[in-house]
Amino acid sequence: MTYDTDLSFNYYGPTKVIYGVDSSKDVEIEMGSIGGTRAVVVTDQGIIKAGLTDHIIKALGNKCVGVFSDVPQDTGVEVVDACADFARKGGADTVISIGGGSVIDTAKGVCILLTEGGSLRDYSGVQLLSRPQTPHIAIPTTAGTGSEVTNAAVIMDKEMGQKRLMVENYNIPRIGILDPKLTAKLPPLLTAGTGMDAMTHAVEAIHAIPHEPITDGLAMHAIRLLSRYLPVCVAKGDDLAARGQVQIAATMAGWAFSIAGVGNVHALAHSIGAVAHVPHGIANGILLAACMEFNLETCPESYALVAEAFGVREKGMDDMEAARAAIDAVKEFTKKIGHPQRLSEMNVTEDDIVKAADLSLGDGAIVNNPRVVLDASEVLEIYRKVL
Amino acid sequence: MGKIKAMTQEWMDAYKAAIEADPEYKEIAKNWEGSVALIVNPDPDKGVPEPVYLFMDYWHGDVGEFVVCDKAKAESAKFVMTGDYARWKQVALKELDSTKALLQGKLKMKGDLPYVVRNIKVVNKVIDILGRVDTLWPDEA
Repeated sequence: MTYDTDLSFNYYGPTKVIYGVDSSKDVEIEMGSIGGTRAVVVTDQGIIKAGLTDHIIKALGNKCVGVFSDVPQDTGVEVVDACADFARKGGADTVISIGGGSVIDTAKGVCILLTEGGSLRDYSGVQLLSRPQTPHIAIPTTAGTGSEVTNAAVIMDKEMGQKRLMVENYNIPRIGILDPKLTAKLPPLLTAGTGMDAMTHAVEAIHAIPHEPITDGLAMHAIRLLSRYLPVCVAKGDDLAARGQVQIAATMAGWAFSIAGVGNVHALAHSIGAVAHVPHGIANGILLAACMEFNLETCPESYALVAEAFGVREKGMDDMEAARAAIDAVKEFTKKIGHPQRLSEMNVTEDDIVKAADLSLGDGAIVNNPRVVLDASEVLEIYRKVL
Repeated sequence: MGKIKAMTQEWMDAYKAAIEADPEYKEIAKNWEGSVALIVNPDPDKGVPEPVYLFMDYWHGDVGEFVVCDKAKAESAKFVMTGDYARWKQVALKELDSTKALLQGKLKMKGDLPYVVRNIKVVNKVIDILGRVDTLWPDEA
């Protein structure tokens, strides 16, 4: 891989990351380190039922002013507004999210509303904020979104009929706590789906137009860790060492795509998620190889890096051969971890992909795709390959 | 004709004329609806002592009002983009990609991002045309 002589980028990754088994017990100490005194906990019912919040709420003691647990699988503007009202009434000065991407993204929206007021619908745009937002400690219970370190949040707006992408450098979580125990009970399919979300972040950070050496390095090591440890997590969920490595990989991939961006895989996954409610990670996992094929002629050198990270670049291969090996490796990898292969397995129909193809052209991710997408028919072709 | 002082009404008129004269613009922008405001943050050291507000109305391939305006009018636009003078100059000179600038926080945009993304060719086109206006920048005057 060579980089242009006019390469320029801003690398900005301000989140303090705490890693370790049982590290989530330190939440109260960490909150104190950033001046927090009154925390609202944002989570969902499934996380509470799984018993993943008890020890954290206990550790917070009377510094926890309330627990908001009504976050659905795909969070929405109304959920964020309701959660912000709840936090405001409790006088929260810190937001602690315990959950997957939907929960963490909800908390990101809440941080904005606690600082700026109003409804999330008032914040339509990119990098609108001009001051640091309410401190946020993110404690992920899946290993995939990387949202604990990113400037992005994806929130469904039913009025728009589309997922709203928010990108705000002033709203990156202050602290991310990675406790492998919190992901140990994830069932195999969810482990595979969220893991493929991380894998997609890594691959897309490498092929996205703004990629640069730091993000490439983070993304490549994320791919190495995922290719080695995600199959272990799927097969033996309570292997905390493997769980931890996958969590770290998800965070590294999050840092990478937060700077480099993502491309057509995410544009298509967001859109089919909005139309047919396919879980984000699974949509990414199904679409990844097909989108790489679409981009292949444009960026073989990027996929050659993916091949190196997967360990499938053989001596003597040129970039195009290595890129093809990377695509095959992604396909084989999804099979190895028992990941769904086709959108129809998620009850997606031809009508759904037609609607999603049009929607995807307005997704913020698509502008960073290495191959320019000119028309919805090109997107539809990709969807059809994996329907 | 000599260079035109940037961010003046004369410069806005020249920019509008350049867009109207572009043979491809009308077709590329046929679906675009709505006004765009650019807010230039002050930078006294570079000859911009006060904020500058520029309002441009685009409608289905036609260009309407192109004016230097006040804050209220600028903030009424469908899309409002804000940035430091030096950043806007970099964008105009195509030293800085506008999309990259937004994602890196070098520019801010208020408005419907999916709409802009869907019409990114229009955005790129008007920036391309801006580069053709023979401009005298305040820090070069």
